[in-house]
Amino acid sequence: MTQETQSAMTPEVRAMIGVSGDVVQAWGVVDAEYLRRFTQAVMDPDPRYWDQDFAEATHYGEIITPPIMVSYLASRIRPDQDDPVTRAFEENPESDGIGSVERPGELPPVPTNLVRVLNAGNELEIYKYPSIGDTVFFQNRYSDIRERVGRDGRAFLIITRETTYKNQNEELLCITRASTIRR
Amino acid sequence: MSLPLEELLKLEPEDILAHNERPKADDLRNKQQIFFEDVEEGMELPKYIYNPTPTHLFRWSAAIENFHRIHYDLDFGLNHDRNPSILVHGSWKQSVVPQYLKDWTLPKGWPWKAQFEHRAMLVPGDILIMWGKVTSKYEKGQMGFIELEIGMMTQDGIESMPGTATVVLPLRDGPDIPYPFVPPAD
Repeated sequence: MTQETQSAMTPEVRAMIGVSGDVVQAWGVVDAEYLRRFTQAVMDPDPRYWDQDFAEATHYGEIITPPIMVSYLASRIRPDQDDPVTRAFEENPESDGIGSVERPGELPPVPTNLVRVLNAGNELEIYKYPSIGDTVFFQNRYSDIRERVGRDGRAFLIITRETTYKNQNEELLCITRASTIRR
Repeated sequence: MSLPLEELLKLEPEDILAHNERPKADDLRNKQQIFFEDVEEGMELPKYIYNPTPTHLFRWSAAIENFHRIHYDLDFGLNHDRNPSILVHGSWKQSVVPQYLKDWTLPKGWPWKAQFEHRAMLVPGDILIMWGKVTSKYEKGQMGFIELEIGMMTQDGIESMPGTATVVLPLRDGPDIPYPFVPPAD
């Protein structure tokens, strides 16, 4: 890094590495109707998702569900919270529909004045297919924050948020990591 | 006959669609196991070809409760965000990946890991080719590990999701892959 480049990796930013959120229980359970809608939307006709007799005879011994379906289950808006979609448009009629929608279990923001956010990529680790009836627990964590210098000589950050999903028996279902660039 | 990706991209868009290898339910029901020994470096996986419409995008938004207007509100996409159209969701592409790896490793393999980036704006009308290619293989703990290069390419050869994956296949004379999956100790 050149002397002219101002580091974006301040002590306050570095201190966020490893910071975890609460363990949050996702609303509801893994259910057959959500499974139907999800697998139809991703266009996966696998009978392991809907043919009970066939599924029970497979390696898995039961109906399975797509591994990262639980990540969307976890981001559901709970019915016992205020409607954030309506509020977003009351506050800003030009809302993009997502910017003001609060999701459960969010981490505290990384204290940086770099405000432009770009998607840098995703990682998946899969260990077990969620079962119908599972309750899902998830926890977010800043697993990594790195500094890079762009071609314009300005420092930027790559922030990786890891989310671990387990079921009610503490069985690990999957781990996702989403990295964003902050410029 | 499965066409190599390079050959597929030489075809006209409507001809690319004719080479879709996405399995039907009965194909998945009757899927025969690929064993570690069957796999060679450079081998290509079947190509899953998609031609998403606004309805497909809306269905995905509704299924996962993603309210971002860039995916379903054309006026917002064009005039507010200055996008070329409504945009195909990165989350949908991300969800195709484990499906694709699952299908290839069925009935007893395991789609363990994947990592990928999101590049390019994909819009309704694009033809999208989910592809994979074996880059290496190794045995560990009586399991067969296959390293893959993966991606989702447009009909114009633009790679929208470059990535890699690791899947696990049984050895022909080996034990079943444990389920839930437990990777071997280093």
